[in-house]
Amino acid sequence: MRNKYYIVSLYFCLFLLTLLVSCEMFEEHPYDVDISGARNVNFNNVAKIEAGMAAATSMKIAMVSDTQRSLDDLKDAVRAINARGDIDFVMHGGDISDFGLTNEFEWGRDMMDRLSVPYVAVIGNHDCLGTGRDAYKGIFGDVNFAFTAGNVRFVCLNTNALEYDYSEPVPDFEFLEREIASIPSGVEKTVFLMHACPGSEVFNNNVSKVFQMYVRMFPDVQFCAYGHSHHFEISDPYGDGVMYCQCPNIAKRQYLVFTIKEEGGFDCEVVGF
Amino acid sequence: MIVRLSAFDIKRWFTVILIMISASSLVFASEIYDSTATVSRYDNRVHHYRQAWGVLIPTHIKLQYAGGMGLLSAGIGWDYGRHGQWETDLLFGFIAKHSSRRAKMTMTLKQNFIPWSISLGRGFSLEPLTTGIYFNTVFGGEFWNRQPERYPSGYYTFSTRIRTHVFIGQRLRFDIPDSRRHFFKSIALFYELSSSDFYIITAVRNHSLHPADYLRLSFGLKCDIF
Repeated sequence: MRNKYYIVSLYFCLFLLTLLVSCEMFEEHPYDVDISGARNVNFNNVAKIEAGMAAATSMKIAMVSDTQRSLDDLKDAVRAINARGDIDFVMHGGDISDFGLTNEFEWGRDMMDRLSVPYVAVIGNHDCLGTGRDAYKGIFGDVNFAFTAGNVRFVCLNTNALEYDYSEPVPDFEFLEREIASIPSGVEKTVFLMHACPGSEVFNNNVSKVFQMYVRMFPDVQFCAYGHSHHFEISDPYGDGVMYCQCPNIAKRQYLVFTIKEEGGFDCEVVGF
Repeated sequence: MIVRLSAFDIKRWFTVILIMISASSLVFASEIYDSTATVSRYDNRVHHYRQAWGVLIPTHIKLQYAGGMGLLSAGIGWDYGRHGQWETDLLFGFIAKHSSRRAKMTMTLKQNFIPWSISLGRGFSLEPLTTGIYFNTVFGGEFWNRQPERYPSGYYTFSTRIRTHVFIGQRLRFDIPDSRRHFFKSIALFYELSSSDFYIITAVRNHSLHPADYLRLSFGLKCDIF
């Protein structure tokens, strides 16, 4: 009988040891921003896009948005996009996370890493919750960034003004001014990517007309892609010919495909999966 | 300064007053039962007053590593129940800075249930199952319990400040022999497997998440004072 108890305690000690080895499961807090795995995801992917598409004058870009808690749907979207083989790169419209938990960003990143093409992701309002904006910064990088794919400049912006409550300028006009002043040679067109569009409750609507003024200072704006309201919508909100295209959330099991044509103009297609 | 009492504050003060009244009624009740001719009513009253509040003396201290309550948490706790099967802990911990703006303090209220204890001889015993629930609150302006007023009503319906965790675990206890007892009666080493509310609701919808994604480990030390 005594022997049996020794076996039990031995088993207990062994179990404890195996637990100690699997370090990843020891977590300080869901909001601890203790990042494991790849960092600077946008920066590294931008380098790949710029190198791979240096001479491109037409391109096909897929867009997904608002993952929140629909990782399984994102997995299927990644699979569907990979199976096509005609996509140059993928844009994520923000809300990678639902609660701003550090792990949600890692899950989202790891799922998007399965794409056979590079991707970039902008910050959404849910990504700002708790320590979310620190986790976004740590994993994806700066909240405002821009890159060049062939002859198109992509300007990716943080538009979640409500989350920042005047602590930081959102949208950041200084960033836009710097961008306007330093457009690389060879750029003929511009695409904007943001989470919330002007008019949304998250946007700083006091400056929505000023924002559009800045948008129009960029060369030949093709469209502004955004997410947030979870349904497909294409509109010309200012009546000035600049189209705003909303990507449905991933739980709708839809993604968008933008085709930027060499001869000018673009197509926007909703694809189910 | 204008003092605003919210419904929550009123509820909290009401609870405190209720506890004080029930504690004093306990003193009076036992006073009648125990009164003798030799001890004055005052002495008796003080004796029972001390006895009543004595229940609140912590019976153990606890140290816990990880488990979503901080890098390291430490605190006090109370054993109770006929077999000491219930345990309540109040722990304070800290979260290291990592890639966030600063280190953070946390506070945890933990309720344990330990139904069995198996003696292994030589003062050792195994508690094959410990289970319970704990609530963790994290201090810092970026977290809120209810969404701040700048949001439209009902925009975020959850709390980013308070997390609820459930756990199961095991414990190995050693009763320190009388001759070697200096500070503690017994010490126990434990480990726990836990998950928090946000992880559970994410896991139920996503088969692509593995148990290692939403289950968390922690271990700790419990020192029984008496």
